[in-house]
Amino acid sequence: MRKYWQIFKISWQNTLIYRFNFFMWQVRTVLSFLTIYFFWFAVFTQYNQIGTYTRTTMFAYLLVAAFLRNLVLWSDSYHACVEIANGDLNNYLLKPLSYFGNWLARDWADKILNLLFFVPELALLIIIFRIPLVFPTSLWVWAWFIVLAILGSLLYFLFSFLVSSFSFWYPEHDGWPLRFFMLMFLDFLSGAAFPLDIFPQPVTTLFKFLPTSYFIYFPTQVYLGRLSFSDQLSGLVIMLFWLLVFFYLVKIVWHKGLQIYGAYGR
Amino acid sequence: MALISVSHLKKYYRVYKKEPGLSGSLKSLFHRKYEDVKAVNNVSFDIKEGELVGFIGPNGAGKTTTLKVLSGLLYPTSGKVSVLGFIPFDRQPQFQKQFSLVMGQKNQLWWDLPALDSFLLNKEIYEIPTQQFNQTLAELVKMLDLGEVLKVQVRKLSLGQRMKCELVAALLHLPKVLFLDEPTIGLDVVMQQKIRDFIKGYNQKYKATIILTSHYMDDVKELCSRVIIIDKGKIFFDGKLDAIIKKYADHKILELVFSGPVTKSDFSVIPAAKIKDFDLPRVTFSVPRDSANEVAAKLLTKFPVADLNITEPSIEDIIRVVFTGRDMS
Repeated sequence: MRKYWQIFKISWQNTLIYRFNFFMWQVRTVLSFLTIYFFWFAVFTQYNQIGTYTRTTMFAYLLVAAFLRNLVLWSDSYHACVEIANGDLNNYLLKPLSYFGNWLARDWADKILNLLFFVPELALLIIIFRIPLVFPTSLWVWAWFIVLAILGSLLYFLFSFLVSSFSFWYPEHDGWPLRFFMLMFLDFLSGAAFPLDIFPQPVTTLFKFLPTSYFIYFPTQVYLGRLSFSDQLSGLVIMLFWLLVFFYLVKIVWHKGLQIYGAYGR
Repeated sequence: MALISVSHLKKYYRVYKKEPGLSGSLKSLFHRKYEDVKAVNNVSFDIKEGELVGFIGPNGAGKTTTLKVLSGLLYPTSGKVSVLGFIPFDRQPQFQKQFSLVMGQKNQLWWDLPALDSFLLNKEIYEIPTQQFNQTLAELVKMLDLGEVLKVQVRKLSLGQRMKCELVAALLHLPKVLFLDEPTIGLDVVMQQKIRDFIKGYNQKYKATIILTSHYMDDVKELCSRVIIIDKGKIFFDGKLDAIIKKYADHKILELVFSGPVTKSDFSVIPAAKIKDFDLPRVTFSVPRDSANEVAAKLLTKFPVADLNITEPSIEDIIRVVFTGRDMS
């Protein structure tokens, strides 16, 4: 366990070296939140309600979604596809170290560091724009939300690794084609930009069965108390199902991938 | 019992071939011709504990591929490989804690941090006890003369300093088996010598088993008593360095300095003496091994000779000739 703690610490050191780079990332996260905020701000000057969302609930949704976007979808592990393609994976395969454990440690280091800065930034924005805040009704909901956020992060981690494995077979472009494709759709499919239940019923139902809804949309709904007990339960079952599916898929794909791995770079 | 044992190892890569030009690129978008590259083709050898073996061959011969299979990075197409009693590809931690692979053109150090941070990370990864770590580090730093360099960002180091740090990172857990893939590449002569001395020292001090690949014959000549020569995925020599000379050098080199005027055609009276280099007053001949003495005697009696020197061809020459498949003389 200590080796992964050391990796956690060295990741922080590594990120903090480049102050300018770090600063620009923070600007980016704030800007991307503001883009979404102003879009919905404009919409609610015309309408009083979108779907079942009033102005207050919509902004509450967007705030929680922004938080989760910076927790769940904030991930350093996409570098895995580059490491496979250029052969840097060698360094890890030679050592008594789990490659997944390594990235999990670096991922969480990155997530926590990011949140340490993003939460105060978000607080500042809340004060400046006087965005109404909504808090869960009980401690149970808080705890439940945190568990789901962690599970969501794990789901995204596995999902991301599966996409990275693409590089074993197509190392030509550092694995970016598929990743780019994925990132384009993710903001949309995860519910980061808007709640997924503003669509007609059949579409909402479809989303319920997709793994991507569980990154942001599902935990946010739980936080806001918008789901019935049975909906929460079925959601959890589907989420756990996807976690298992991705876990085994990653396992199989990596087993196959390592057999054809070229260990390039020379 | 051999520490490293390789038997009938094969590793084929699938690569696709593209015809040159844009039309070739467009064609390859829809249809790709794949071909098997036989990087390692039926290679067998055994290495005993404490041996320092040189692995030589031209670019693309299969040296690095073999080392990667021995390290568990590549899955062999067929054949059996065993290192320290483990199958490398299983990548068991017990195995990984006992070996290291160093590549002259790749680095494991964290680029943006001082080397010491990477060392501390390796300490945890290899679960090295603090006391042993401090002791080993102090020793390696002294052997390689590193000192203050450890606290400087790796990206700011010179190639030589970085290579030394790479070696330290790879040796902190005191591996019993060490694979060195061109550790001296791109280094200046002084630094090459330092690295060489260090490798020799490590081999003797820790009884480590080492395989070394290099393009520099000096590395091999100085360090390895045994060499394995590999070309196009096959071994065609495995033995003592001196034995290569006996096996492939069927001629000797006669170097003469003349004290009087001679012309090229004068030497046609001794057909066994082939002129290699004609740069008066110095002329170099290549002569079949058995008749070397006889030819030397003839030259001495028939021409005005100031100096005569009989030598073996250099290993570089032999290897070059062996690889290009040309006739020795």
